[in-house]
Amino acid sequence: MQTQRGLWLFLVPSGLVISLVLLYPLGYAIYLSFFNYYLGGQPPTFIGFGNYVALFGDERFWGSIGKTVLIVAGAVSLEFVLGLAVAFGLYKLTFGVKPLNLLMFLPHIVTPVVAALFLRWIFTGRWGLLDAIIMSFNIFPPDWLGTPGWARFTVIVADAWQFTPFMILVLYAGLNTVDNSQIESAQMDGAGNWTILTRIMLPAIKPLILFVLAIRIMDAFRFFDQIYVLTAGGPGTATETLTMYTYALAFRLLEIGKASALGVLTLLLSALTIGLVIAVLYRRDKGAF
Amino acid sequence: MRPSRTTQMVLFLALCAFTVVNLTPIIWAFMTSIKQPVDAFSVPPKLIFTPTFEFHYQVWVEKEFWRFLINSAVIAISTVCISVPIGTMAAFALSRMRGGGSRGILFGLLAMRMFPHILLAIPFFVLAQWLSLIDTYPMMIMALVAINQPFTIWMMRSFFMDVPLELDEAARIDGCNLWQVFYQVALPVVRPGLWITSLFSLLLAYNEFLFALVLTGPNTKTLPVAIAEYGAEDLNYWSLSAAAAIGIMLPIVLFMMALQRHLVRGLAFGAVKG
Repeated sequence: MQTQRGLWLFLVPSGLVISLVLLYPLGYAIYLSFFNYYLGGQPPTFIGFGNYVALFGDERFWGSIGKTVLIVAGAVSLEFVLGLAVAFGLYKLTFGVKPLNLLMFLPHIVTPVVAALFLRWIFTGRWGLLDAIIMSFNIFPPDWLGTPGWARFTVIVADAWQFTPFMILVLYAGLNTVDNSQIESAQMDGAGNWTILTRIMLPAIKPLILFVLAIRIMDAFRFFDQIYVLTAGGPGTATETLTMYTYALAFRLLEIGKASALGVLTLLLSALTIGLVIAVLYRRDKGAF
Repeated sequence: MRPSRTTQMVLFLALCAFTVVNLTPIIWAFMTSIKQPVDAFSVPPKLIFTPTFEFHYQVWVEKEFWRFLINSAVIAISTVCISVPIGTMAAFALSRMRGGGSRGILFGLLAMRMFPHILLAIPFFVLAQWLSLIDTYPMMIMALVAINQPFTIWMMRSFFMDVPLELDEAARIDGCNLWQVFYQVALPVVRPGLWITSLFSLLLAYNEFLFALVLTGPNTKTLPVAIAEYGAEDLNYWSLSAAAAIGIMLPIVLFMMALQRHLVRGLAFGAVKG
């Protein structure tokens, strides 16, 4: 009993920091979301759910939800499919796996801002590497960052460039945990690679797959650094996700109250999404965490 | 066995091709950083040229990027020095507690990892202005310590879970109090884990952008903010900013070499990105 009581003391320093620097500001943001508050303007006035009502009538808000869903879904599915293919390739490969794995991994831990710059130098009109290559075949390339459709595509590619390596590493580690005897007996029965992958290996690592998807969806929701550097939400509002819109409201228009309300809605939306994923995760496999 | 060797070769080449395409942006940036601007913008791209490291020198010394490196280092190292000790203590407690309390806390920490950082950036900014802490180290460090806690605690807890409880009990019988059990018995066993966790936390703080964008200013600007803001004031802009970008990446390459065996564990607990 005494051990248990003493242990709580070990939680105090971390608990204090989390309460003061994480929970208190969170509460303060929720509080601010009920005020009409322009930074540097008049003192805040209480308007109840006014900011939320304003947002629900705001086309830019609905537009940013659509773009967030599009970018998150596009990026995460691209990363998963590509990541799984490469992970399976690495699994099948009998030599040189380690150096390849390490080299592939590099883009994942590059500072996101720097990664976005690397990609900007590929995609920039005329001078970027991609355009230079395309133009040397006498084809006129699209404006990757300047047209709405292509800008969204480029942002998805940027996310995929940084996070496919994460998928590869985790899925490769997962594939290696699958029981070998099951695979061998399937091979005896004449099953091909595709059948083995989809019928035996994927079901075996399902908890890991759901876990990794949950993490990716969660992080893609707050994807900010790369969009900020690549397109800053543009052209127009073509790549303006919820996070980008919140940033614009808070730090460009200084509408702190409305921005807080949008932040709270983003939190609720991502919690809802993750809640759904975790519900599936727990239903399928209790031991996932 | 012959056909399988051919398949292996094809597979190997395909994966090599993927890796090369994947690394192209980095290689291209490196080449831009050692090219004269004239060579950098030729169509088709020039692959043979006289390399120069003058832009690396210019951006880090003359354009004073070393200042931002110092800012980044001060902030990242201070963050680790606060975050890891307090997180490790909490992790020890959570690994030794029985009952539902610790489960609840762990789940709460996981939930905190989901917070959209933009939602925290707003109150951080308002409070920092109110306390006149904008453009100071402490504000930025505390913000990073806080968002680092969930990762540090989960990660360190996984290492403490590997320390057998019998070891604690033996120490208790020998008359150690709880602090001594933690500090003299459990902590030495998890020392490798402590290093791994510290390095991951260091990377997280080094890479962070949003809070740095909002909370730092001319005196405390970190490398990611500096390079994102670095504008096209002069003709050599491309070469200079490529040189800065490559420089920012170098410590990360070292980091990866040091941690290659532990990457999966760190990633599973959400290192690197918040």
